[in-house]
Amino acid sequence: MEKFGRDEWVAQAEARRKARGALGRVTAPWERLPPWARFALFVVLAAAVPQLIHNDYVIRVGGNFLLYGALALGLNVVVGYAGLLDLGYVAFYGMGGYTYALLSSPQFGIHWPTWASILFVVVLSLGLGLLLGSPSLRLVGDYLAIVTLGFGQIFVQLATSFDRLQVPWSDQPLNLTGGPNGVVNIDPIRLFDFAFKTVAHNYYLLLATLALIVIGLHHLNQSRVGRAWRAMREDPLAAEAMGMPTKRLKLLAFALGAAIAGLFGALFGAWQGNVFPSNFGVTLLILLYAMVILGGLGSLAGVLIGAFSLSVVPEMLREVELSRYLFYLGGLLVLVTRLRPWRHLAAALVGTIGGGYLLKLGVTNFWPTLVTAPQPSVSPLGRMVQNWLIIPPNATLIGNLVFVFVVLLLLFVARAQNALARVVALIPTLYLLAFVWETRLALEPSITRLLLLGVLLIVLMVYRPQGILGQRRVEIV
Amino acid sequence: MSLLDLTHVHKHFGGLQVVHNLSLAVNAGEIVSLIGPNGAGKTTVFNLITGLYRPERGDIRFNGQSLLGLEPHAITWCGIARTFQTLRLFLNMSVIENVMAAAYTRTHANLAQIVFRTPAFRREEVRIRQMAEEKLAFFGERLKGYRLDQPAYSLSYANRRRLEIARAMATEPKLLLLDEPAAGMNPNETLEITELIGELRARGGYTVLVIEHDMKVVEGISDRVIALDYGEKIAEGSYHDVATNERVIEAYLGRKSATTK
Repeated sequence: MEKFGRDEWVAQAEARRKARGALGRVTAPWERLPPWARFALFVVLAAAVPQLIHNDYVIRVGGNFLLYGALALGLNVVVGYAGLLDLGYVAFYGMGGYTYALLSSPQFGIHWPTWASILFVVVLSLGLGLLLGSPSLRLVGDYLAIVTLGFGQIFVQLATSFDRLQVPWSDQPLNLTGGPNGVVNIDPIRLFDFAFKTVAHNYYLLLATLALIVIGLHHLNQSRVGRAWRAMREDPLAAEAMGMPTKRLKLLAFALGAAIAGLFGALFGAWQGNVFPSNFGVTLLILLYAMVILGGLGSLAGVLIGAFSLSVVPEMLREVELSRYLFYLGGLLVLVTRLRPWRHLAAALVGTIGGGYLLKLGVTNFWPTLVTAPQPSVSPLGRMVQNWLIIPPNATLIGNLVFVFVVLLLLFVARAQNALARVVALIPTLYLLAFVWETRLALEPSITRLLLLGVLLIVLMVYRPQGILGQRRVEIV
Repeated sequence: MSLLDLTHVHKHFGGLQVVHNLSLAVNAGEIVSLIGPNGAGKTTVFNLITGLYRPERGDIRFNGQSLLGLEPHAITWCGIARTFQTLRLFLNMSVIENVMAAAYTRTHANLAQIVFRTPAFRREEVRIRQMAEEKLAFFGERLKGYRLDQPAYSLSYANRRRLEIARAMATEPKLLLLDEPAAGMNPNETLEITELIGELRARGGYTVLVIEHDMKVVEGISDRVIALDYGEKIAEGSYHDVATNERVIEAYLGRKSATTK
């Protein structure tokens, strides 16, 4: 038998803990899959979506996810791998979009072949990345962030104001970018005589490009360059002293991120058929950063999950029935993962549903005026919930009041030290949460989805500051 | 000609003269110790050699080539590697990756080869991994097996010092600069470090310049000892010569005052 030291056993405690329990049995086969198999599964699933759902809206949401995912991956190279806080990232995306637009639209009547435009866009983005990167790299951290934020703002300003550009060779001002009206009627991508015109075409184009990018970045991550990037993020001085040319490596990350952003800017322009300055603002930058941080800096799969959570989930929440499922299933998932031992979980659920059922039975019999009849149109899940939930006639007012009360209850549950008190308090909390959902939140999806997203972000960042799949970083030991 | 040559090197921070007119030489195959009280400028000498600081005057030559104006990574490429007095590992990377990362200067795969995983790239990766395991095997059973894939922050203090040495070895240097390798170690580990430095020369073929406070270590390893005080060389020679040198004793213990005479 091989020597198996005690500290080795301790070192594997985390792996053993993960494999235990019902949850562990479910996740264990997934954990055993090699990374390429997981990624292949993702690609196959993503490719099946337009085949199964013939709905342009759904495919468009999926395409947006792929686009955001790719942009977040590019940002991850700069921020996650090289550790450079680049707030000018979206400018490269916009630059790619506008460059492609000007080369393939009626704006100047130029219609380059797609491969030439794309090649030009990528090379230009690389060049601009190097150009803007080289003066910025003297700066670190917050200072770099401010300078690059400036670049980003300048780009948006130029795109907005270059519709009346004074040029020396003509008396008429030149309309370069179309100003706030943008560049419209951009040609679709055309490869080997095939034009990517429909939403589904563009979806597949984005998926294929994203897949190539993921594979390339994965390979890069496991090479001398990837290791050097990580080393540089850990300790730039030690990395330099160990022979890694940190300036060149930073510049490489900066330019590579810029090239990915530029490429997808072009694909975005070709897909939408138009580009406007407002497509490339700070809002998008914040969204991309939220995706990268939520998913976990430096993790490819994590960043894609982050992009999914912040692009597809908000769209799903628009739909009342879907958001209802998400709400109850999400709540159940939180309870299953956070509430131990199992009998506490069972007590809370039985208490909430069973107690609610009895309560409703009693109230219906003694004060029938307090209960409204269940709405007939709701889904199976809605009907199930209405079996044990009392919906009073003036639900809006009571819902508002209970909303405040339930937040206080939640705080109590979260801070409770005594396990019994927590379970007991959890029963009315869950009941009232369901009540608030049914009477208020489900009725106003436009507000609810942002609210839920905010809660999701807060909870995740509190419990997993390193992001969903990020590795916890130890700073000082 | 010696491997490393410092001639009349000056370095000051503002008004503080940290290194003053220092000349020293290290011959190939030698183990030289640099000693001196706290603040004597020993680590500054290392920082000057590795390019983290630039001297105001004087010249630093390695293998006959001047290192002045080279960036630190270029100096590492020339064949000088160091460890740090305050450990500077890549804490959140695994043990083996710490060593593999340092192979950067001795590897060549370009972006295209990496992205397409060409056979040349794969061969090089295998070579890097073997090299890293080999360097770690220098320390016996300590940095082997399951330890390779653990994060560096999970290592004990002594093992971190060993890992730093392994990382420096991975840059394939001719000259190793060790900054207080025995600091914070217990007597057993100190003894082990003493043997290790000897092995570095015998098995690894490195020339070693070491800063050390522990006089037992200095005695055990040094071919030659150089003593610094206030940035100046005050003595040089065999351990015995330097340890009994009056100026060295004075630098460490102070001058006897007239009243106690």
